[in-house]
Amino acid sequence: MRRRTWQRRGASLLLPGLLAGCSGVQSILAPAGTDAAFLSNLFWVMLAGAVVLWFFMNGLMVYVWRVNVGHMSSRKAEALIIGGGIVFPTVVIGVLLSVALNAMPDMRAEGTGTRLKVTGEQWWWRVEYWPEGAEAPIVSANEIVLPANSRSEIGLTADKVIHSFWVPALGGKTDMFPGRETRMSLEPLKPGTYRGQCTEFCGESHAWMAFNTVVLPQDEYDAWLDAQAEPAAAPASESAERGQAVFLSEGCGACHAVRGTAAAGKVGPDLTHLGARTSLAAGTLPMTQDALVRWVRDAKAVKPGAEMPAYDHLTEDELSDLAAYLEGLT
Amino acid sequence: MSVFGIERSRSLWHLILAPTIWAIHFCVTYGMTAIWCERAPAASGDLRLWILIVTAVALAMILGVAWRAWRQWDYTDDYDYEHDGPTIEDRREFLGHAGFLLAVVSVIGVIYVALPAAFVGSCG
Repeated sequence: MRRRTWQRRGASLLLPGLLAGCSGVQSILAPAGTDAAFLSNLFWVMLAGAVVLWFFMNGLMVYVWRVNVGHMSSRKAEALIIGGGIVFPTVVIGVLLSVALNAMPDMRAEGTGTRLKVTGEQWWWRVEYWPEGAEAPIVSANEIVLPANSRSEIGLTADKVIHSFWVPALGGKTDMFPGRETRMSLEPLKPGTYRGQCTEFCGESHAWMAFNTVVLPQDEYDAWLDAQAEPAAAPASESAERGQAVFLSEGCGACHAVRGTAAAGKVGPDLTHLGARTSLAAGTLPMTQDALVRWVRDAKAVKPGAEMPAYDHLTEDELSDLAAYLEGLT
Repeated sequence: MSVFGIERSRSLWHLILAPTIWAIHFCVTYGMTAIWCERAPAASGDLRLWILIVTAVALAMILGVAWRAWRQWDYTDDYDYEHDGPTIEDRREFLGHAGFLLAVVSVIGVIYVALPAAFVGSCG
């Protein structure tokens, strides 16, 4: 009896952990895009096939070892070996290969809507939106916004080392190489927020190199892009005004750009609309004042190897003013 | 020296010819695709035609090998799978049997290698 209870407890502890992988913002099993839906269907079909095959093979083994021992004619055995060992797997693999190959051109189809370019940096994402006919991009970072029900074209490259771009809920992954441009296209179907992750080891903070992908209906996306093209909002409170002064006097603008101000650095992420993003430090922290203070005070403590120096010489007041300014950049 | 119409010194070839044709077909189609898509990506239609031709030639050659290996195995003579005796006939039939099976695998391999060209229409 006691053993039963333990088994049940064990199962009840294990199951949520296993099932948690089936949903959520970063799961291939919860597809929200055309390509991911195809991949997940393929997975389920293959899993079902594998389960059927597993039972069939074990059933066969029980049959010849226990039920019908020594009664198979050599003709039958020959048919089983040739049919089950050569013809059947060849046809099954041939069909699976054909289905997958047939889908590849669609997955690699050129995007017709939004065009963007994503550059993998250590350890964050430089994002450029190129609206039709634009001569200069709308620059952003660490978050990707895509319109729903439209295939977006995404150019990919990297700064110093190889990274890989993957939003499991939307589609497959593509590597990003320094000095070379690769491409992919994604067609999200359901508005929502989906997590992406660098999937090629790129240094000590590789695991902290993530991003949110926000999928919006087309009209909301258009409005969002118009807002992104605007320069930064002026500080809306006294605290934010003091924060802006700290930002400029501390030299943050040498690395970061805040369009509409003197800050025009291009080394680090563009902060023009930082406060409008859903996460901070490439998917590592939530976009809150506390997190901003923590990040600015000592970025390396959050993200080992990050190039941003620690600003732990600033007072608590200065840090919270700075956070108020940054959070107000919507 | 000739045994049952097939020269003894040549019987070993049936074992390795089919996989060799498969390997060459693999290198030729992949190499051709890499060079073609780098130099003339627009003309991918011609490339597909060439892959079809190379594949047809490879399959014809492997089927030829398979036929000869099948005859060397001489299965329909005695319908036996056992050739582990220390005789010339057993050795010959074993090599033919193995060569025939390798030819079957090579046919499957060549078709799978060429399959992407049937579905993926362009170099992009």
